[in-house]
Formats: sequence, structure tokens, C-alpha cells
Amino acid sequence: MYGIEAIAKYNGWAISAVGVSIVFTGLVLLSLSISRIHKLLDLWDNRNNIQLFKKKVVEAPKQELPPFTTKEKASARQFHLLINTMDDAFSLQRLLHLATISGLERPHSSLEHLLKARIIEPDHQGHYLFNREAFDRFVS
Amino acid sequence: METLFLDFFHNTGFFLCDYRNIIMILVGMVFIYLGIAKDYEPLLLVPIGFGMLMGNIPVFKGLGLGIYETNSVLHYLYMGVTQGVYPPLIFLGIGAMTDFSTLLARPVLMLLGAAAQAGIFITFLGALALGFTPHEAASIGIIGGADGPTAIFLTAKLAPTLIGPIAVAAYSYMALVPVIQPPIMRLLTTRKERLIRMEEPREVSKREKMLFPIVAFLLCCFLAPAALPLLGMLCFGNLLKEAVVTERLAVAARTSIIDSVTILLGVTVGASTQGDVFLTTKSVGIFFLGALSFCVATACGLLFAKFMNLFLKEKINPLLGAAGVSAVPDSARVVQVVGQREDPTNFLLMHAMAPNISGVIGSAIAAGVLWSFMS
Repeated sequence: MYGIEAIAKYNGWAISAVGVSIVFTGLVLLSLSISRIHKLLDLWDNRNNIQLFKKKVVEAPKQELPPFTTKEKASARQFHLLINTMDDAFSLQRLLHLATISGLERPHSSLEHLLKARIIEPDHQGHYLFNREAFDRFVS
Repeated sequence: METLFLDFFHNTGFFLCDYRNIIMILVGMVFIYLGIAKDYEPLLLVPIGFGMLMGNIPVFKGLGLGIYETNSVLHYLYMGVTQGVYPPLIFLGIGAMTDFSTLLARPVLMLLGAAAQAGIFITFLGALALGFTPHEAASIGIIGGADGPTAIFLTAKLAPTLIGPIAVAAYSYMALVPVIQPPIMRLLTTRKERLIRMEEPREVSKREKMLFPIVAFLLCCFLAPAALPLLGMLCFGNLLKEAVVTERLAVAARTSIIDSVTILLGVTVGASTQGDVFLTTKSVGIFFLGALSFCVATACGLLFAKFMNLFLKEKINPLLGAAGVSAVPDSARVVQVVGQREDPTNFLLMHAMAPNISGVIGSAIAAGVLWSFMS
């Protein structure tokens, strides 16, 4: 069998039409996809600037410390005196040692209280600093 | 003693020789000549040409020497062709040596590669009209893809008896790209069109290049799963190249692996052209349709580029359409040569690589589609 008759018998027209369509569809889809790759990468690189991807920072409610009791105020003043004998940036371990040998009452607990009130603050280099402002606010 | 001498003489190639063997040996010599003297695809034509010499030495049947004898060494090597092992390995190497930057920079050029694949399906119709069976017609049509490994892969699956003529036709026409394409390109384009300059492509990031093989593989293989062996290996090879950390594997794929496979493929395909098997009227038809397929594919690419220019603000040089046939990188080189004949300062090569590479992907999809239709 030859000619148009053979093409029709073996479904040649349909195979060719569908075949060309599939090849075209595949390459058009691929072309569209790869034309977006660099834009998607740019988007990913700048994801911090996109509201959708911004991480919502949940701010923890500020916990106000209750005012110092008279006993606590006295303990803070004693610690202040000890700190005055030391350098500006001092070691917490050394302060605790001084408090213990000076016979301060419950030195660990008192020191923790001062840290919570930010009267004593870390300098992020391994030492601690005395915060005059916080001391005045809570103790004076 | 006389009897012994006569027995020996009856087993020699001189006695067993057929005129068809002589013709094929001459064709093989022409291939070797074209490869060495004219530098037409020497890496393919020289192994195929020498394979033709090997395959056409007349041998006594039963000694296990001929490629079609099941117990011969050549037959075992030929199994890489008939079982479709070599083509995916060649695609692995092609992937590992191909830079997809130009394609990523201007994806619209990919459509030219798609348009050129129309030649495959037009030739498929032509082959059906000439009386070939659908399986044979599909195998002949794929010659228009100008992709030797794809043509061999599909023929091995659909019409194994035609591997010899189809492989030789496909590789011959690929080697003859510089001869076949330029007249068609000049015929279908005006001088003004050939002078069009292409815009400088944008720079493509390494990440884009790394993502491309994965996206291309997933998308194309989900659409046409039968293209998996070829496209899978092509994209895998490219990922090895672009991933940088797998440089050793990429180097192996684009050097030792592809070289070894090309030698085995070339020699065995050449050896499969035994005169008595190869020189038939069918082979003549295949060569005729193969040439037609190649010309139609080139013309489709060119005409589609002109069609695209009707809608594009920045016109593309229609010569790029001719690179849509996937003879990488010869057809891209031809585009460069033809373009520079009109304007020596116009560099089209890197732009032509985009449709050229998309042609490789397109022909692999087309092969997968035809395979799935015929199975």
C-alpha cells in the first residue's frame, strides 16, 4: 500500500499531528519554565524583603519585676559596695566569692535578683558591668 | 596438497567476495577519506568507515566472525547498538560537555529547535506513503532529527533490521551538514534577514545552570516518559558538569566514556553494513528519505524563525532556525559561516547553540513519542 491511502491506514496524520504537538508543548513548557528560573532565584535571594516570607517576630510581653523589698534593697546596696572595690568590668564568680566571705545573706539568690533587674549586666566579653540607672530605679 | 590449497582458496575473501562487498568497501574508503582529508565529522566517519571495511571482508559462515553471527565478538559489541546501550551513554557525554547558557539566556530560541522537529514527522508521512511499515517509517523519520544516537536508539527499538542503513544515513548527513544546509538557508532567507544582529545574551548564574538539567529532565520526562533513557542521561551528564563537585565524573563522561562508546558504536554500525544486508532497495529509499528529512527539518526551522519575527520586537536572525536540527555543533557552525559571509563582524555561533541544543532535547522527545506510539 502506498501514498495517502497508506498514511491514512496507519493513522499517520494523527500520529504526526499529535507528535509535533507534544514536542512543541514540551519545549514551550520548558522554555517558559527556564525563563522564570532566574526570576525565582532573585525572589528567593530577596525573600527577606517580601512581606509574605517575613518572619513574624512575636514579642514576649515585658515582665516587670516587682519592686525590691527592704531586705532586697539592703542586699543590693551591699553588693554595690563590693562592686565598688572591683574594676568596672568584673568577674561574677569573684563577686560571688566576695559576697560569700563577707557573710552576705543568700548571696546566690540575691545575685540572681540583681541580674534579673539588670542592675548587673554582661559586657558580652566574659565580664559584667554595674548598671547605675537600674540600681537607682530599683534601690534608691 | 592441491586439495588443501583449493580448500584454503575457497575460504579466502578473494573467492567469497561479492560485488556488493566491493561497493561497501569503496563506500567505507570514501567515509575514511571524507573524515581524514575533508575533516567532515572525523570522529564518526573514520570509525564507521573502518567498520565498513571490517564488515565487508567476506568470511566463511559458521566461523563466528561476521557481525550477524551470534557467537562472534563483533556481534557482542553490536549488542550495545541493538539493545540501545550506546546512545544513552553518548548522551551522557554530550550532556557533560554542553553549556546551556545561551539557551537559558534566551529561552525563546528553544522554539526553533521544536520547529525543526517537524521534519521528523513530515518524513514519517513520506516514508509511510512510500510503502514502509509504521515502525520503519518512524525510524526513517528520526534521521531528520540529525541526531545519530537518537536515530540508532529508536531504530534499535522499532526496526532493528534497518539499523545499518539508518545509522549510516544519519551520520552521513550529519557529516554533510556544511554541504546540505547552506543552499537551503540562502534560498529561504533574504540578505537583509541574514544581516540581522542578535542582542548580547544576559549572563547566566551557576545556580540557573545547575537547576536547568533537573527542571528539563522532570518536565520533559513527565510529558514524554519514553524519552527517559536519552534525556535522563543528557540531563544527568549536564548536572555532573554544572555541579562542580562532580567534576571528576563529568570529565570521565565527556572524555573516556564518550570516546570509548563512539569507537564501539562507529565500528559496529560500520560493520553492520555488510553488502548483502545493506545494499537493498530499502536502503536506497532510506537514503533518499533521510536527505529529504534533513532538508525539511532545516527548512522548518528557518521558516519558523521568520514566522516568529512577525511577532517579536527584537528580531532574530532566521538563519538560527537552521541550527534547530540537532547536529551539535555542526549546524550552529554552519549558521556562523553563512552569517559571516554576509557580514564578517556578525557572530551568530553562541546564539545558534541555543536552538541547536534544544534540537537535541526536541529530537529525544520526538523519539520517545514515536516509540510510545508504535509500542
